[in-house]
Amino acid sequence: MKVTLNWLKDYVDFDIPADELAHRLTMAGLEVEAYYTVDYDFSGVFVGNIVEHQSIPGSDKLSLCKVNVNNELVQVVCGAPNARKGLKSAIALPGSKVGPLDIKTADIRGQHSEGMLCSEAELGLSNRAAGIMELPPDAKIGQPIESLFAESDVVFDIAITPNRPDCLSVIGIAREIAALGGARLHKPKIELSLNAEPVSDYIDVNILNADKCFRYSGRFLKDIKIQNSPYWMARRLYLVDVRAINNVVDITNYILMETGHPLHAFDYERLEGKKIIVRTAKEKEKFTTLDEKEHILTPEDLLICDAEKPVALAGVMGGFNSEVIDSTSSVFLESAYFEPVSISRTAKNLELSTESSRRFERGADPNGTLYAMDRAAMLMQQYADATVLENTIDVYPRNVEPMNLSLTVRNTNRILGTDLHREDLETILSSIEFTITAKNDGVSVSVPTFRPDVQREIDLIEEIARLYNYDRIPTNTNPQVDLTQKSNKSSELKDYIRSVLTGLGFWETINLSLVNPQIAKPFLPEKQQFVELLNPLNTELSVFRPNMLYSLMTSVSYSRNRQFQNLRFFQVGNVAWMSPENQITEMTQIAAVITGQRKTQTWYQKPEAFDFYDIKGALFSLFDKLGVTAVKLTEAKDSFWDSTSAALSLNGRQIGAVGKLDSQVCDLFSARQDVYGFYLQFEPLFKAREKEIVFTQIPKYPSVPFDLALLVDASVPIADLEEGIWEKGGEHLIKVDLFDFYRGQQIEKNMKSVAFSLTFSSKERTLQDEYVNQVIDSILSHLRDKFGATLRPR
Amino acid sequence: MADKNENSLKAIDQIRKEFEERIQTAGSTEELDAVHRDFLSKKGKISRLFGLIGKVSPEERPRVGARLNELRQHAQSLLDEKRSSFDKQAKPVEEFDPTLPGREFPFGAIHPMMQVMDEIKTIFAGMGFRIEEGPEIETDYHNFEALNIPEFHPSRAMQDTFYLPDKMVLRTHTSPVQIRTMESQKPPVRMIAPGRCFRRDTPDASHSPTFYQVEGLCVDKNVTFADLKGVVTAFAQKLFGEDIKVRFRPSFFPFTEPSAEYDFSCFCQGKGCAVCKGTGWLEISGAGMVDPAVFGFVGYDPKLYSGYAFGMGIERIAMLKYKINDIRIFYENDIRFLEQFKMVR
Repeated sequence: MKVTLNWLKDYVDFDIPADELAHRLTMAGLEVEAYYTVDYDFSGVFVGNIVEHQSIPGSDKLSLCKVNVNNELVQVVCGAPNARKGLKSAIALPGSKVGPLDIKTADIRGQHSEGMLCSEAELGLSNRAAGIMELPPDAKIGQPIESLFAESDVVFDIAITPNRPDCLSVIGIAREIAALGGARLHKPKIELSLNAEPVSDYIDVNILNADKCFRYSGRFLKDIKIQNSPYWMARRLYLVDVRAINNVVDITNYILMETGHPLHAFDYERLEGKKIIVRTAKEKEKFTTLDEKEHILTPEDLLICDAEKPVALAGVMGGFNSEVIDSTSSVFLESAYFEPVSISRTAKNLELSTESSRRFERGADPNGTLYAMDRAAMLMQQYADATVLENTIDVYPRNVEPMNLSLTVRNTNRILGTDLHREDLETILSSIEFTITAKNDGVSVSVPTFRPDVQREIDLIEEIARLYNYDRIPTNTNPQVDLTQKSNKSSELKDYIRSVLTGLGFWETINLSLVNPQIAKPFLPEKQQFVELLNPLNTELSVFRPNMLYSLMTSVSYSRNRQFQNLRFFQVGNVAWMSPENQITEMTQIAAVITGQRKTQTWYQKPEAFDFYDIKGALFSLFDKLGVTAVKLTEAKDSFWDSTSAALSLNGRQIGAVGKLDSQVCDLFSARQDVYGFYLQFEPLFKAREKEIVFTQIPKYPSVPFDLALLVDASVPIADLEEGIWEKGGEHLIKVDLFDFYRGQQIEKNMKSVAFSLTFSSKERTLQDEYVNQVIDSILSHLRDKFGATLRPR
Repeated sequence: MADKNENSLKAIDQIRKEFEERIQTAGSTEELDAVHRDFLSKKGKISRLFGLIGKVSPEERPRVGARLNELRQHAQSLLDEKRSSFDKQAKPVEEFDPTLPGREFPFGAIHPMMQVMDEIKTIFAGMGFRIEEGPEIETDYHNFEALNIPEFHPSRAMQDTFYLPDKMVLRTHTSPVQIRTMESQKPPVRMIAPGRCFRRDTPDASHSPTFYQVEGLCVDKNVTFADLKGVVTAFAQKLFGEDIKVRFRPSFFPFTEPSAEYDFSCFCQGKGCAVCKGTGWLEISGAGMVDPAVFGFVGYDPKLYSGYAFGMGIERIAMLKYKINDIRIFYENDIRFLEQFKMVR
């Protein structure tokens, strides 16, 4: 909301510098986002009087004007349609500057031109560009324009919070300034000369939906002369970003800005049947607003109709069929109160947000309709020659009374932590026109209806705090804290996992959660669908990521496109998908990827590429740190894996997978090299983690190592052999490590050689060779029976 | 027998002499190899002397054995000594260069924005706030309704929301975690909710459709606006240093009343700079006293309890902290960016 300093001063007397005012308003909750001085340099631009005017032959637009500037006649060529003999306007003489133009003498169509007659738009005074500036007949010829019409002003751009519809008006902001500066607000007095004709001869109003239209007031005005609004009004509107159109429309807009109450002027001649009916739209009823857009309505939308047809979309925008035009001579002026939710719904559904709808949906003042209407009528009498009827329309089926509220001193201080007294509450609340109705353990007040945001005691406390000034509320850095609060283990574990992964050489990334369904398709679990946004920004960001590996792949892609080859990334984040029954599953996943070289070329080593066992190693190091021991590998089913991959299961439940990403998937991300990765669900890890550590006595007796070299069919998984060893290893086997693995020419094809180092230990004694040999024999015979494994001869 | 013993000792001395001469005269490593072969190999003279042990009287055996062992050690050490002196002369010793790069262990790092997030979590944990988490895909009820933001209320337009079917949304703030926490526990509540949020903002230098927030909530008897100012001020000073001042301005949020926006004093110390646009203040985020209507939704008695809530955008704080001017760089994960934040602070 923009306001100007001079405009504010119409309603409140204050003498506060602009920067100080901006600060005070901001500290009272009216955040001044910007303020700037509007100043002009119009040296060389004067009031001139056109004393001769003739059209230039061969041109339908140009005319030759002789302009009197200080008893000097200046000849100018002018293209404005309103240039005419006798008109006083602004003339810029050679050497002056008008906007970007340097004014010089020139020859146009063979005619000498010694300056330029200027429009308000050219001078930057308003948006009116259709003709040259029209100055009043009493303007003094030869006077500099700036001294007369371009007084300097300061524009404040204020961010009004949605709870403060009253401040979407110059008077509303002036009221705040009055409260802050201890001054009095003086609203303009209504002065009208009235015509005694009964309004019922012209119009009759009927509200069919009082739940959406609490009040409908109006005035009938006739003998109207449509023309430009006065210059001062066009300029003020211009400074607050409202376009000047004609006097009647400008006046309704001016009063909207002044009072915050939206008005609408109908061209009376185009209303049929002398009737206004307020009703909801029929299903699919069509209506064309004055911006010439057709809307298809629903019964939720409220319409203003005449006897035959809709003429306005209530509270949002007038109709094209009844707007005020140049030929309008009578006007029906509407000043109503529409229910906020209804207007909000219509504005949202039709994507039609207007100055009017913004105010109604936040809450206009139902008891402010008459004042706004009369102010407008007064200006129309003054600037459009309107005859105003004494009788007014005022249908008010839902009377809104000021709200009575009580506020205790105790509650004020209980919420704010202050030490305020009743007198403080009284002073503050009366400064913003709340009427004190009783004094007790606090105050009772009547809240004016222009403050729909104040409905509860807490809202009064807010007013107290705001106007007392937050700076003056104490700062308590010594609060009471409950020491029994428990920490959040789940959140802590996530942080711990992140820290372990950085220790393992991975870099944490963060990526957008919204992804491209085309590329993310392979990452969607089987039979599931994407969680798809109803209103995405674009298709590339239209679904929720279904797997954290997708996110990491986008970072791989980014780096590969910049020639970075050796990458180790991880991320902990949420993924989601939806079942065919539209059930959404959201879960936290941990994922990591590696690509490029495990060993880079250095003085001590040759380069070596990452492979499956690197990512598996990292993953199992993580498991080790988490005390998660029971993870088994099974066949991976996700379609984004290459065959070099495995699913991870924990206690019979799949919790993730590890492997090499399919080359076609890598192509989607332009990886151009192998990428290995894993993803894990967080929740099962959290449940499976080792919760307590209990110390085990360090063995007093030396342990006995035993190396076991086996020949076995190449298809037998190492894990199965290991498991076989454990099965027969007896109570004293404490460790099994694979220390050698070989396939090749030295041994039979289809066979592999594996060597395990076993460690035996007992708490009670030194284990004898006989014992160990016995166990080894039983292991060997078990492995032979189960896998056909034999001892490899030395 | 005594003779035999005597002879044996003599033989040992003889061989010793012989060995010492040979060593002395040896002039090359090849000659040393020959000395080794002649004396210390399996069939060398010293080794063969051990055969004498069997021939001496049993009571003398230990003495002879000890002499032999002593000789063998002596011979070996002379040989080694000589060999190493040759080695030193033969080839120049490889120069030890401590500046040759060591074999480093690879490490990664926490993302810079998450470092800030972690720091903020640590600060609040130290002030007795428990970390709470909630889903990113939220119900309309938790994200809006229960926070006193009814449908078609103008305040909904303050946040551009991503909608999902069945009245679900991508949470626009972490405030729904407040509601979930209060739904599941009685006061006192003292929590923060760090997490990812979503708004329908086209990505540019200051907007990202995904962003991070920390929301704080404290509810108990006699919790006041003064406590809110205290917590936020203490936080600001722990994060940015003791000189930081905090300013509260009235504002509006549907779930707090009174509401505030809070600013931190700019690092330019009020002189006015480009970061604070000359105002001396950096806008951080919003806060306020929990609106009684919110207590109504979760079944807390507003006559008994009061509380404050505050929020903050992590990107904003990280950008201020590291002097970053484009939010998008956080989500690019350029390794040259990440590497700048690898050190532990």
